Amino acid sequence: MAHIPPKKHTPLILSVEGVEKSFDGFKAINDLNFYLEEGELRTVIGPNGAGKSTFMDLITARTKPDAGKIKFHLDNGEDVDLTRVREHDVSQLGIGRKFQNPTVYSSHTVYDNLKLSLAGERGIFHSLFYREKPADRDKIYSVLETIRLVDNAEDLAGALSHGQKQWLEIGMLLAQDPKIMLVDEPAAGMSDEETERTGELLLSLAGKHSLIVIEHDMEFVRQIASRVTVLHQGHVLKEGSFDFVKSDPQVIEVYLGRQTRKH
Amino acid sequence: MKLFDNKIEFGGYLSACVVLLLILPAMNAFFPEGSSMHFSSFQLSLWGKYITYAVMAMSLNLLWGYTGLLCLCQSLFFALGAYAFGMYLMLHVGVDSVYNTALPDFMDFQGYTALPWYWAPFENGAFAIAATLLVPGVLAFVFGFLAFRSRIKGVYFSILTQALTYAASLFFFKNNLDLFGNNFILFGGNNGLTDFKEIFGYDVNAASTQRWIFVMSAILMLVVYLVISWLLRTKFGKVQQAIRDSENRVRFSGYSTTTYKMLIFVGTSMVAGIAGAFYVPQVGGINANEMSPAKSLDVVVWVALGGRGTKFGPIIGAIVVNIIKSFTTRMYPDYWLIILGAIFMLVVLFMPNGLVGLPKQLAPVWARIRGNSSTSAIAAS
Amino acid sequence: MKKALLLFSFVWTVLAGAVETVEIRTLLEDLALERIDDQEATLQELADSGDEYVTAFVDAWRVGEIREYQQAGTELFLVQEVSGKYIRVSTGETIDISSEVYESLDKNRAPRKLRRLLTRVTDTIGLASKNVNTRVEAALKLGASQRAEYLPELQRRFENEKNAKAKRAFEEAIMISLLANAETSEELIGAVIRLGELHSIRAKDKILAIVASAGESGDEALQVAAQKASDMISDHEELLKHAGSFFRGLSTGSVLLMVSFGLAITFGLMGIINMAHGEFIAIGGYTCYVVQGYFSNWFGESSPAFQWFFWVSLPVSFAVAGGIGFVLEKGFFRFLYKRPLESLLATWGLSMVMRQAFRLKFGAANVQVANPDLLLGNFEYAGISMSYARLFAIAFAGFVCVLTWLLLTKTNLGLYIRAVMQNRNMASSLGIPVKRVNSMTFAFGCGLAAMAGAVLTQIGNVGPTMGQAYIVDSFMVVVVGGVGNLLGAGISAMGIGVFDQFLQPLFGPVMGKIIVLGMIILFLQWKPGGIFPTKSRSMDD
Repeated sequence: MAHIPPKKHTPLILSVEGVEKSFDGFKAINDLNFYLEEGELRTVIGPNGAGKSTFMDLITARTKPDAGKIKFHLDNGEDVDLTRVREHDVSQLGIGRKFQNPTVYSSHTVYDNLKLSLAGERGIFHSLFYREKPADRDKIYSVLETIRLVDNAEDLAGALSHGQKQWLEIGMLLAQDPKIMLVDEPAAGMSDEETERTGELLLSLAGKHSLIVIEHDMEFVRQIASRVTVLHQGHVLKEGSFDFVKSDPQVIEVYLGRQTRKH
Repeated sequence: MKLFDNKIEFGGYLSACVVLLLILPAMNAFFPEGSSMHFSSFQLSLWGKYITYAVMAMSLNLLWGYTGLLCLCQSLFFALGAYAFGMYLMLHVGVDSVYNTALPDFMDFQGYTALPWYWAPFENGAFAIAATLLVPGVLAFVFGFLAFRSRIKGVYFSILTQALTYAASLFFFKNNLDLFGNNFILFGGNNGLTDFKEIFGYDVNAASTQRWIFVMSAILMLVVYLVISWLLRTKFGKVQQAIRDSENRVRFSGYSTTTYKMLIFVGTSMVAGIAGAFYVPQVGGINANEMSPAKSLDVVVWVALGGRGTKFGPIIGAIVVNIIKSFTTRMYPDYWLIILGAIFMLVVLFMPNGLVGLPKQLAPVWARIRGNSSTSAIAAS
Repeated sequence: MKKALLLFSFVWTVLAGAVETVEIRTLLEDLALERIDDQEATLQELADSGDEYVTAFVDAWRVGEIREYQQAGTELFLVQEVSGKYIRVSTGETIDISSEVYESLDKNRAPRKLRRLLTRVTDTIGLASKNVNTRVEAALKLGASQRAEYLPELQRRFENEKNAKAKRAFEEAIMISLLANAETSEELIGAVIRLGELHSIRAKDKILAIVASAGESGDEALQVAAQKASDMISDHEELLKHAGSFFRGLSTGSVLLMVSFGLAITFGLMGIINMAHGEFIAIGGYTCYVVQGYFSNWFGESSPAFQWFFWVSLPVSFAVAGGIGFVLEKGFFRFLYKRPLESLLATWGLSMVMRQAFRLKFGAANVQVANPDLLLGNFEYAGISMSYARLFAIAFAGFVCVLTWLLLTKTNLGLYIRAVMQNRNMASSLGIPVKRVNSMTFAFGCGLAAMAGAVLTQIGNVGPTMGQAYIVDSFMVVVVGGVGNLLGAGISAMGIGVFDQFLQPLFGPVMGKIIVLGMIILFLQWKPGGIFPTKSRSMDD
């Protein structure tokens, strides 16, 4: 199926074209086409098994596609083929990922968690003889302020609440100064108040970063969404504003429909 | 850069330096046998052995306690270092009276008249010392490369390292190897290498030589302690612990965890190798038993009992377990394995933080007891 | 009906045999006392009978233990001493005479010619035996003697033989004999070629000698044929060796399989690396030993009832180990769930305690467990000799596979086990008694290991550390198979067992083991999760 990229207003930062991926004969991703603009906040929704996690794995080079292209467009006009990059180099290119379950370094302090994530050298020699510069400290504190954990800077990350861990992980992404942030279910397990604050946080990041957010919580999606992509059976089913998507009969059938039936 | 967490640690370190480097050697050298102040040479080399064990435990702790890799081949690296240095010692036993050759006896038995090529370089002390580092290092590099590359970790890593140790011990238990029609004499088989005479021109069994070796072992331990303290404070050390907590996060933060793990694995294997080299002259021999899988697991229990992920724990664990061992194997030899087994079980079930973590673990209990007694005291009044 | 028929035919055979023996005995007596006119026909009849008594008679006759006896008023007859009793040759009846009387009797001495003829008969009488194996043995023995006088008899038997195995043996014997007795060089070359085709290992040395002598005498055609034949035989020997390795590998793999099933289940279900699993093998071995002791006390070792000890100890070892496993699960293992590294250490401690306990109870040395008669000896098929004990191990492993499969797929417990393996919390909230399922499964795994240990008593040693020999291998099996996957465990157990046995003759046991380990590591490069990896969606595993 020929797919025409959307009309360009702002330059693209990521394009995924004709990607296929199967596991043991099961097609997890099927002719997937996806384009992300610079500074965009995109929400990806879809029922269980729609291929959302595999989609993220593909962008972060955790799995390689069977076919198709995944291109990351750099500022200097060059394209990077993400299917040929090693997993740990993806973040150096400027792509950060937050996992579904908060993964932080529980035996390090919040401050150290961010310090390890700061953009910069990742080599062994560097890490052995690294000394903290004032600029690093400022950067860490600015992130701490963004994620509202200044008072917890010296606490062990393992002792934080679930919501705080989610924020810390987002903070760790921010410290990397990524161009694209992949955020997997940031509101899972949060209280209503925390959820709302997370939404505000993500909205404030849009513009400076490009974000792809996977989410189940429809309230949350309504709060943050400008543009929504609906995945179904590893394929883009619909793409558009939240209201457009919400009222689409096909989407209701495969996704929202099920939810309404359940209620 | 500060290396110690607090004054207590610093004080402890200083006192350890004084006791190990000055007091014990002096008590051995300057007080006559029979004097209550005398520290016998036997005791000195016994403690020297404990110290080399402690160094091996420290190296394992760096892998397991701080990086989360439960390696079951630390005793293999230790033994390889010991064999490398033991080969040097073995080639300096002089001409024996029975066969009138300078070859080790087990080669004479088998009618060898010249050193095989893979033995010959070990006559050179510098080569042997380099080998104590390189042999374990290269093995760790090759194995680590294969294991980490295919993301083998957790319990799989443990099982494979155990299998590696098992295979190596089978190999070292052999006297000869027949391969493609050639016969290779190995490393002394069951008996291993023993009956040493000279070390760098000195009598290896002389009290003064033993004293020097003891002092150097102690220096080794103290230096390794400092290096570990330094490492843990660098960003490298923090990455290491982050790998233990969440390797995927580290990788997604852009660190090549494989490279980091490789460096730690190879580095700790070399530390274990040197420890082994210091072990050989103090114990007076090395055989394949020292690299059996069971020994590897013993090291793990030293670390676990002392407290893994603590700087001091492995030292305490290695020494405590080995003191209990010397005592029990002398008094109740039948029950040593049962006691050791019980330590394994009890530590895992009841002392997750080991002896070092025990005060903290017991603090709430202690507080409750005190709290109860004070409330009951109030009630009584 | 069928049974009755079978019984009837059995009785008939026995009676017919008895009748025949009496006839043969009468013939022999008459022959020895020269009461027969047509000696040639009688001798032929004796040779064709294949009766074993003929040989026994001639042997006794040669050493003078056939005596002539005549009671007053009766005819002369022959008496033979058989284990202290005196027997009339023609009827087999016991004769009531004292040893002094027997000693005073005259020895029967037949003419030389008759004796020579009779000896010829006894040499070839095996060829006519009713037992196929006796016929085969007799033929090959005559062939190996390479004496020309047996050739016509062998030829005659070969033509009349119906049984394929015996016919083949007759042919082989003839050809071997021809190697020395061939009249023309064509006949010799024919024999050599035929022996090559028959893969006659017995003839190999003789054919090699022909290669050498033909080389010296410059008989090129013969040399080429003999060389080709000896190559064919060598190839066949090689094949047999490999088949033997394969067979031993299968049986080792069978034991590994029984051991690793338990490991795979406990790892998959409970996340426990059970280093003490090997000690349950030892429990099985020692249970066998203890049961053997009881049977020996109750029945004595020579009674047929004693033979039953092994078959009884199979279920008993399952029960004993299962019971111990059940108790240990309740009191120890359940604290280790989902902590694989810690469980590895704690269970290693348990393993040490158990090993030392065995040592204190049964001594450090290996104990002896007898083989029941049924498992003694070898089964031969196409030249491959397979011991019954190993065959039994393979068959029993198959039985265990079926048992486990039935348990997992056909019982409620199996359904529960699979549910708990996939999602412990969900299973628990659906009302599955997770704790009971754990205990039962753990006990089952221990029971399997113990039965493996009982089987091992037949092909290996029983000692306090017998479990240790298998534990490293069986962990390899679990890792290669894919954790918690029984099919994977089965395939990898067989694979590792067979590989190990193939490499051992090539590199020796130690290098063989090291190579197997190296291959496992390389295999994991290719498939890090084993043959059947567990699929997981969680990020941190």
